[in-house]
Amino acid sequence: MKQSIVPQERRKFVLFGKGENSTVLMILVFFFVAIVFVQLISGAAAGKVAYPSFISPVNLLNIIMQVAAVGIMAMGMTVVMVGGGIDLSVGMLTSFVTIFIAKAIIDWGIPLYAAIIMVIILSIAFEAAMGWIISRFNVEPFIITLGGMIAFRGIALLICNSQEISTKGALAGLKKNLIEGAKGPSGLSLTIPIYVIVFLSITIIIWWLMKYTKYGRRVYAVGANRNAAFLAGISVKNIVMSTYALNGLLVGIAAIMLLSRVNTAIITVGQNLEIDVIAATVVGGVAMSGGKGNIWGTFIGAILLGSIANAMNILRLQSEWQFVAKGIIIIAAVTAGAIVQVRQAKVQQLKQIK
Amino acid sequence: MSNKVILSLNNISKSFPGVNALQNISFDLMKGEVHCICGENGAGKSTLIKVISGAYQPDPGGNILFEGKPVSLNHPYAAMKLGIQTIYQEHTIFPHLSITENIFVGMEITKNGMMRKAEMKNKTSEVLKYLHSDLKPDQLVDELSSGEQKIVEIAKALVLERKVIIMDEPTSSFSMNEIDHLLGIIQKIKDTGIGIIYISHHLDEVFKIADRITVLRDGRHIITCNVQEIDEPQLIRYMVGRDATAFYHREFYQPGETVLKVENLSGNGVNDISFEVRRGEVVGFAGMVGSGRSELMTLLFGGAGKSSGKIFILGKEVNFKDPSNAIKNKMCYITEDRQSTGLFLIHTIARNTIIANMVNTKRLIVNPNQEIKTGNHFIEKLGTKAANSQVLVMNLSGGNQQKVVLAKWFNTNGEIFIFDEPTRGIDVGAKQEIYQIMMNLLKEGKAIIMASSDMPEMVSMSDRVMVMRKGRIVGELSKDKVSEENILELSIGGKKI
Repeated sequence: MKQSIVPQERRKFVLFGKGENSTVLMILVFFFVAIVFVQLISGAAAGKVAYPSFISPVNLLNIIMQVAAVGIMAMGMTVVMVGGGIDLSVGMLTSFVTIFIAKAIIDWGIPLYAAIIMVIILSIAFEAAMGWIISRFNVEPFIITLGGMIAFRGIALLICNSQEISTKGALAGLKKNLIEGAKGPSGLSLTIPIYVIVFLSITIIIWWLMKYTKYGRRVYAVGANRNAAFLAGISVKNIVMSTYALNGLLVGIAAIMLLSRVNTAIITVGQNLEIDVIAATVVGGVAMSGGKGNIWGTFIGAILLGSIANAMNILRLQSEWQFVAKGIIIIAAVTAGAIVQVRQAKVQQLKQIK
Repeated sequence: MSNKVILSLNNISKSFPGVNALQNISFDLMKGEVHCICGENGAGKSTLIKVISGAYQPDPGGNILFEGKPVSLNHPYAAMKLGIQTIYQEHTIFPHLSITENIFVGMEITKNGMMRKAEMKNKTSEVLKYLHSDLKPDQLVDELSSGEQKIVEIAKALVLERKVIIMDEPTSSFSMNEIDHLLGIIQKIKDTGIGIIYISHHLDEVFKIADRITVLRDGRHIITCNVQEIDEPQLIRYMVGRDATAFYHREFYQPGETVLKVENLSGNGVNDISFEVRRGEVVGFAGMVGSGRSELMTLLFGGAGKSSGKIFILGKEVNFKDPSNAIKNKMCYITEDRQSTGLFLIHTIARNTIIANMVNTKRLIVNPNQEIKTGNHFIEKLGTKAANSQVLVMNLSGGNQQKVVLAKWFNTNGEIFIFDEPTRGIDVGAKQEIYQIMMNLLKEGKAIIMASSDMPEMVSMSDRVMVMRKGRIVGELSKDKVSEENILELSIGGKKI
């Protein structure tokens, strides 16, 4: 018989799973370094040495604030995609949620918290219904959620009569700065609104759910191999449906936070949002084929894409450039991830022969 | 029948990592003959036709002559250009296209880039007439029976003026009438001078149609002879006869209590199945591909709904709605196709090891470090060749992947193990290891149900063998009656067909 070649694993707490996210993390760092470098060069050219404003604490918090809603939605998308699905309807569902809340509190006179609870239940129900159809009738999630996207748009437009609704600051509480007192004398003011805290908490909760619970294991298993998961005693249909329902909850929360920032409910709030959400997810290393990816990867992906728009603003570049930059970064990140994976596979295969 | 050799293979070998699928095969095909290739599953028949059709490259050393000239079949297209057409077991047909479109796909008759539809249609209907078929050129292939679809493929070979047609188990899903019809057509087309290579498990078909027979066994050429020079028992002996070294010498244990009892079970394509399994024994399920073995295994495990019958585990009646109930009742199912139904290839060994046991634990929270330990434990116990349990399963060899599947089930503390093709695609050394692991299970008092089409495995591993045919058990062989001849005779229906 063979000698044991199993080394003792050192017990350590790993925030980032073994190199899983190193590619996207490297791209993020590279991007930050590049922007800082450009700022320093242009500052020097103008004859002054200035602290690069891109990496100032204020701006970093700004970035997190800007990506909070997309980030939360990307968490939900990650769960859905790890389970082998995809959801194109999240953008229009966001529009629906914002319009419903604004209408409810402004025109229908429903108390804010009741409206929030109602709309979150609705959001979960819509997503669960799509998940039910996808899992029970084994139809392509791409098509079902495309249908959902169009239907949500219609429902939202019907509710608001194709007009915009102002919330008149009813959701200002969510925007409240938690550290307002910490305003420095030099005008330095840090902003941590409640919804940044919500974003970070949700990230941690979903990370824990996917990594440390039986449920998370099952979602990964279903995404990796449906048949094998079924024969391993997993209720594949219910798991698939639950990923959509969970996504519904997160989209509901994200939409409320988005509304508190823009203060106006209008159909364009969620338009094309699904593109940003899916982009953040795949840049973070989640595979379209399911079973692969993790929450921190998605988190970094969301921050990376969010910081592109921010950097373009700071560098005073035409905003059109951000699409070019985003596109290139998506392509680069996914390609680099694939190359790294092939290399790792070779190493593992060699080890086996040895 | 002219005696001109159309295709000849000299000293062709093909090896895959760890397996010699073909060893120095020489084979020739005459114009206008039907040449049957016989052999058990795994004898190398499929590999041989894949070499001829250009899907596999043979190892260097041999050569292939086509009409006397050496050729290199380095791509399926090269074989097609020479006039070799393969009709595979599975359909390679486009269901949403018409018969004419299927025949000419990729070979369209064009003029200035435009398709000559009328001309293609005329050619098609001519050939269909010649074949005495009532099919119409415009019919969608979707609407045809599988027998009629085979006729479309034959018509394609005629329209494109093929010189060699290879048929791999053409009748596997046919009714009796369709078989006779097809055999009639084959008789007819061989008169046009086409050479036909015919592969079938059904020996009665072989004797009806063959001019010559070649027998392969374990990748070696055994004999080629005219059909008149051989009879069925002799052919079977050539197919199964082998040196005893391929067998595993196992110990036998005194069987204990009955753990699984099945009464008149039907559903998922099997009918009226009754048998018992006791602790410490291996009950083998033999039968040809399509006899319902795997379907029965899936049914037992709750992977498909039963229509009637009863299953008892340790005397208690059970009714599985899905596999999770089966796992809770101490059943384990090592499936036939480990990659598509057994493993999570993109996940680590540790994740694969713990997944099935999750139905047995109430805890909702998992501990990754514990998973890694469990994974490592089974790597050591089963001798899996992997650095540690963090290695992705897709990077393991077939034998080691099978050990990961075993680890997944051993971790559930099961009592009844269903092995479907336990050593398919695994090389000889790893096979012996898997057999040893199975013996250890028996020693611990577990029960094993084994379905396999590997005859030496069936004969050497089983305490008893149930032979299946067309979804039913057609015979039970006790330990002293288990032999390849008896199994083969029962599973092909003996001389009755």
